[in-house]
Amino acid sequence: MDFSEEIRSKAKELLESGTVDCIIGYERATDGVVARPLFVYQPSNVDRLIFDQTCAHNLTKYLLNRKDKATAIVVKPCDSRAINLLINESQIQRDKVSIIGVVCPGIVKAGLDNTSGELQDACLTCQQHTPVLYDFLVGEPASEPDVPDAYPDVSGMEDKSAGERRAFWEEQFSRCIRCYACRQVCPGCYCLECFVERLDPMWVGIRIAPGENEVWNTIRAFHLAGRCIDCNECERVCPVNIPLSLLNRKLGKEVEELFNFQAGIDAETPMPFSTFDKEEKLGISE
Amino acid sequence: MAVEYQPKIVGFLCNWCSYAGADLAGTSRICYPPNIRIIRVPCSGRVDPLLVVKSFQQGADGVLIAGCHPGDCHYSEGNYYARRRLALLHTFLEYIGIEKERFQIQWVSASEGKRWAHVVSSFTEGLARLGPRETTLHKETV
Amino acid sequence: MSEFISKQDLLTWLGQLMGERNLVAPTRVDDLLLFRKVDRVEDIVFDFDNTTMSPKEWFYPSSETLFYVEQKDGQTELIPAAIEKETAIFGIRPCDAQGMAMNDYPFLEEPADALYMQHRDKTALIGLACITACPECFCTSMGCGPHDPANVDILLTEVTDGYIAQVLTDKGKTLLPDNLLTTADVSSPPAPVLSEVPSDGIAEKMRQAFDEPFWDRLADRCIHCNICSYVCPTCYCFDVRDYTDKERIERVRSWESCQSPGFTRLAGGHDPRSTKGSRLRQRFSHKLLYFPRQFGALGCIGCGRCVRACPVNIDIREIIKDVQQLGVKSEA
Repeated sequence: MDFSEEIRSKAKELLESGTVDCIIGYERATDGVVARPLFVYQPSNVDRLIFDQTCAHNLTKYLLNRKDKATAIVVKPCDSRAINLLINESQIQRDKVSIIGVVCPGIVKAGLDNTSGELQDACLTCQQHTPVLYDFLVGEPASEPDVPDAYPDVSGMEDKSAGERRAFWEEQFSRCIRCYACRQVCPGCYCLECFVERLDPMWVGIRIAPGENEVWNTIRAFHLAGRCIDCNECERVCPVNIPLSLLNRKLGKEVEELFNFQAGIDAETPMPFSTFDKEEKLGISE
Repeated sequence: MAVEYQPKIVGFLCNWCSYAGADLAGTSRICYPPNIRIIRVPCSGRVDPLLVVKSFQQGADGVLIAGCHPGDCHYSEGNYYARRRLALLHTFLEYIGIEKERFQIQWVSASEGKRWAHVVSSFTEGLARLGPRETTLHKETV
Repeated sequence: MSEFISKQDLLTWLGQLMGERNLVAPTRVDDLLLFRKVDRVEDIVFDFDNTTMSPKEWFYPSSETLFYVEQKDGQTELIPAAIEKETAIFGIRPCDAQGMAMNDYPFLEEPADALYMQHRDKTALIGLACITACPECFCTSMGCGPHDPANVDILLTEVTDGYIAQVLTDKGKTLLPDNLLTTADVSSPPAPVLSEVPSDGIAEKMRQAFDEPFWDRLADRCIHCNICSYVCPTCYCFDVRDYTDKERIERVRSWESCQSPGFTRLAGGHDPRSTKGSRLRQRFSHKLLYFPRQFGALGCIGCGRCVRACPVNIDIREIIKDVQQLGVKSEA
């Protein structure tokens, strides 16, 4: 799949008409294989834009740096859910963003080129190949495949014994170097002061050590409960390959089962943890 | 002489119901194990999952959260939010390797002194049977 | 004619070293390659390009206790941390060894950093020359080379059935017993050819480029995580905090990165590097301008780790090329 031409012509149109000051899209990286984000401010630069199955990045986080400026952005379906989240949480204004949505068949594994056909694991359970919101659509929407089990990775972890799970997570958390790439890339992480930066009281502190790493990773995941739109960026950027999606998707699965809610499908449904149901029974102290 | 394992329990009690209930247990001279270290919070809705995870990281063997019964929250709604948040936390803790018996949420009203003592006793006994939390995560590195 | 050690003898020797000291070597951790302390020779990986994290963590750990303060019987005692055991790092690449030599400038300049100095004194470096290079390697443009014997105690170069061994320092001589070495008529394989990066005169070009909008445009895509600084062999910023617990204070030093938002936020709220562009410019200015100005050598040693690890392909090789071109042709 290669939609580069369509993206370029739409970008040129939006810049020349003055609808937006900037297009956030993708270009080819220095290795000639993978993609990287690109900010285009001049119509003469639109030919650098590409869109194919190497375009892994979720670009929506960059919208938070341009809150008061008219911006166009290229989004895959998973990324488009982030825009709904940010509108719902009053972080961006809908009328400032021109959304170029792309029908996406899936992104290839890291380091592979557009022709490889080997999709990354996160894309194998995707049930949304058409963006949930857009101003312009590139590509033809097709019917969604039937995915009987949307969370095989989470079920696999749940099936392990408590001891196996404990050993697994101890090993993973001891690798964490607290680079915070997971947080920086996540559109749901936009607190001006992150809990981990708080030094009085020092909830986590600066020490890079397994216990502190456990608090960091589990609580970040929990702060995204009911908000994570499952773009998998956190796991993709982690330099030490911690399977962060196993944390976020577990919470996503539970939220779906308990509250019949999926983040980012629309921008209006109240978020599950900022509301409640008086009559619900959740297995506590009954 | 071997020292019997004494679980360390951290309790977050809401000021208006549970803490008062614990006080009532005390004034009624009802005995219960002293393993629980109580932290008073205004409402169970104030309990951030961070406090729970941090308690475990600092060496707690068990964490107990007690609040008003749903419908009776002093702030009307706080415990409804708590119920949602903490139900999810319970499953999540188990998923990351903290046994579900180590974390309990109970609704205890200000008049339930006897019940409070029972809650703490059975929680402590369960933890004593379970043993200390085996983890390398709260050892110092370096 | 060269000094030669057979693969078998090398394994025996490494096994011996393991008994007397910490042996740190490249080893598989899940699907990563990291320098870790090894207890079994089977865990050592010999055939690799380079590790994800640099070996600097063995001289300058990601978190390190500087001292403890304890109260006993009314007396307050300050107990500095001390490095007791000797260490040998096997498999360090010439570029990373150059990186450690670069770190010596800031850490060992008087007054020297006590802990770093102890780590350095008590650690021997057994280098492994590069037979192949990663696509991202560019050490030859940064003052180093794949077979460079400077900065290690012993340099091993792989040949058939074993390694050419160059014992370069007294520490190396004490470490490697003569009886394991033979003389053999083997010569070194040619060094791999790396892509060129135009680093000549980069410091002056960086100085001239200070006010260019180039940095803001580059920083548009930077997510300001700490990855580049943490994988880099020559980044050394840190923060220090005291941790108090039950009559004991522990002062801990941990890695930090100039790329983090708020790195330069001062008491009172002012932040001299509040913009993304100024933070990004700082990292490259430090490597390519301030460090050479201060210490006479480039701060970047061309290992390519930041290029591989950066989630948005901020590529120092591209930046050096672009900065050299700034002012030569006008930007669109």
